[in-house]
Amino acid sequence: METRHFTRREFMKVGTILAAGLSLPVGAARLFAAGLEKLVKTTRVVWIQGQSCSGCSVSLLNSMDPEPVDLLTQIVSLVLHQTIGAAQGETFMQTLNRVAQEGDYILVVEGSIPLEMPQACVIGGRTLEEILVQLIPKSKYVIAVGTCAAFGGIPAAEGNHTHAGSVRKFMEKHHFSVKNCLVNCPSCPAHPKSVVGTLAYLAGHGYPDVVPETLTPRMFYGHSTHDECPRYHYYERKLFAKYLGDPEGCLFKLGCLGPITYTRCPHRQWNNGVNWCIRASAPCIGCSSPYFAQRKDFPFYRKGELQHAVNYTENERKGEK
Amino acid sequence: MTTTAVISPLTRIEGHLAIHTDVEKLASGDLRITSARCEGEMYRGFEKILEGRDPLDAQQITQRICGVCPISHGLASCQAQEMAYGISPTNNGRIMQNLIFAANYIQSHVLHFYHLAALDFVDIKSILKYNGSDHKLKSLRAWVEGALARNDTFAAAPFLPRYEVDQYVKSDEANWGLIASYVQALRMRSIAHEMAAVFGAKLPHSTALVPSGVTETATIERILAYKTRLNQLATFIEETYIPDLVTAAGAFPQYWDIGASYGNYLSYGVFRLENTTGEKTRKFLPAGTIINGQWKALNPSQIFEYVQNSRFSSSSGLHPFRGQTEPSPSKGYSWLKAPRYDGNVMEVGPLARIMVGYHTAGFEWIKKEVDAVLGSLQIPVEKMNSVLGRHLSRGLEAKWIAHQAYNWLDELEIGGASAKDYELPKNGQGYGLTEAPRGALGHWVVIDNYVINRYQCVVPTTWNCSPRDDKGQPGAVEKALEGTLISDVKQPIEAGRIVRSFDPCLACAVH
Repeated sequence: METRHFTRREFMKVGTILAAGLSLPVGAARLFAAGLEKLVKTTRVVWIQGQSCSGCSVSLLNSMDPEPVDLLTQIVSLVLHQTIGAAQGETFMQTLNRVAQEGDYILVVEGSIPLEMPQACVIGGRTLEEILVQLIPKSKYVIAVGTCAAFGGIPAAEGNHTHAGSVRKFMEKHHFSVKNCLVNCPSCPAHPKSVVGTLAYLAGHGYPDVVPETLTPRMFYGHSTHDECPRYHYYERKLFAKYLGDPEGCLFKLGCLGPITYTRCPHRQWNNGVNWCIRASAPCIGCSSPYFAQRKDFPFYRKGELQHAVNYTENERKGEK
Repeated sequence: MTTTAVISPLTRIEGHLAIHTDVEKLASGDLRITSARCEGEMYRGFEKILEGRDPLDAQQITQRICGVCPISHGLASCQAQEMAYGISPTNNGRIMQNLIFAANYIQSHVLHFYHLAALDFVDIKSILKYNGSDHKLKSLRAWVEGALARNDTFAAAPFLPRYEVDQYVKSDEANWGLIASYVQALRMRSIAHEMAAVFGAKLPHSTALVPSGVTETATIERILAYKTRLNQLATFIEETYIPDLVTAAGAFPQYWDIGASYGNYLSYGVFRLENTTGEKTRKFLPAGTIINGQWKALNPSQIFEYVQNSRFSSSSGLHPFRGQTEPSPSKGYSWLKAPRYDGNVMEVGPLARIMVGYHTAGFEWIKKEVDAVLGSLQIPVEKMNSVLGRHLSRGLEAKWIAHQAYNWLDELEIGGASAKDYELPKNGQGYGLTEAPRGALGHWVVIDNYVINRYQCVVPTTWNCSPRDDKGQPGAVEKALEGTLISDVKQPIEAGRIVRSFDPCLACAVH
């Protein structure tokens, strides 16, 4: 990955040169590589889960190139994580306070924030709101991982009780500047390549080029799924899939939201590239979009459209007003 | 003398949980938990969000209740909709659903043992003494040494800091083996997700699930992509996961006697073997209940949810078809409701499935398998109601499911219909009963004028981590903590081990 600050391969290369220079067997290169790693000071990351399902954390564990162990030992130092960290109870809260004191970390937020019902998310007896107010000012950057943190997502959908909102809304409510600080990495769950790529970019290169309206890094969210869709040729020829599971045809008439969804799904796909929604004949449900699941009258599929009154239009699904 | 011991937050589970216990000091000087409270600390309100929506949205929205077991929610929702629509799955559709589900089960069980539970047992610091030749372990040692050499405050995070107690595995060789397995298991669980995505499009949160089947087609290329990965996982389960379980059990034999709950078990059964819905459907692991040692068939009309100690103002004691979800944030002590079966507190999960299967006519193979393993460990079946019994149940189940997945691959008809087309009804109702990796999961849906009028989910960890009900009966985990001896009220690692043996998923439980 071009955005990585120090790659294992680079270590191996330096190690190999050193071993060769000293006339050591090539096998010794690994030891040198291991030794050089001691010099690296990795970027600290504090990962906090709000109103989340942990799906973005599980998705992060699906990372390839680098795999999770390489990510944790060579790219970042994951100080706190509720799902995989050893710390619990008082040990967890002491670590949280200590890292907040020292500062100099990237804060990752997974899940939305209950803006008007603080008791709807509590960690170690403190509300998420209190914890974020403590952590945000001392962070170098904030990454909102997943659609819930980036845009509110399903917890913020119409009819919710907790007034769930995004990290951006939370920061604005508390008068923290989002400029050159907050990066959104949406999709449900967040794609490991977007999250790892953003972490590595922030660690090595600083704040990335983002789409201003969505604060999403252009390198990962610059194109619509529809524009890069392998079924685009069907759309051009107006050949549409007829039922959910039809292996032929453009999926737009079944409800596909590819035209209003910006991801690299058609290129990098999911789960180490074995599959993705449209390859599996499943319409894109717009999981990385700010509009994802927000309106009750804007369903994922269009099957029921002719059967009951709906007030959305085909143009809205195409992103045209 | 009484005091308290608290784990808040209780991490290395899914979601937001705190455990508060009262502790008494015995005349012998031992510290013993006398009562416990499980506090679920997060709420989103999925059931309210679903009201008024297109019912087809539900299998996508409910998957987002949980990123660890989304498939369980997706399939419970598909089955509830199938019943409401009056349709049945296609043969290939049902089998591909089973294959996606099997992959997610294996993923979840491997993740639970190695990446959630194991750090309560493995001494991660033993890596500093590693003197073998495995290059992954050598680089881990170098990583920790490097961080210590430069005085990093958070050396070896997130594996440290931890509870510093003298209760981890003593043998360095055993620790190194378990650490190597931890690393290997990271890749294995991700391969299991790849396997699920082969038919499920992507994981977590499969877009391919639909009522009556899946959208993906069974091609020879898909079948091979699945089978290649299944081979790796089946080998890992038999050659690494189960031997590691035996190692852990050998190092901590006292945990056969720690963490017993009521001994009442509930299973809805899982992996449909015929193209129908409802509790009569034949399944790979059977439905049933065990109350006071007696096996009885499952009767879904006996399920009620109580809220006297929960953060809800809605009526208490409702069946899910009439269920309500009205938040009241300062009431009670948990965001979980308290589901009960005919008034009884039930344990759900792999242990419950295995104990129900053990006593179900027609499933003698389960009894035979369990007796063989327990015989080799010289453990009586009564001791399955324990921390180690729950871990062992997960390992056995992972093995059985991996084996059965080969049969399902063979049953697929290449190119066969993956799903059906059908009319959506104006009105209807249905329920879907299945088993998430961590226990019995039911969705109940009522459709009125083409949209969802009511949606209720009764979820595994809602059973296990429930607060006290209206009669004051503690939940299954609360009960399992009672009577436990702990060594340090500031670092009650024993309590953490008990809670984690249930594999709690709080995002599910609160939804």
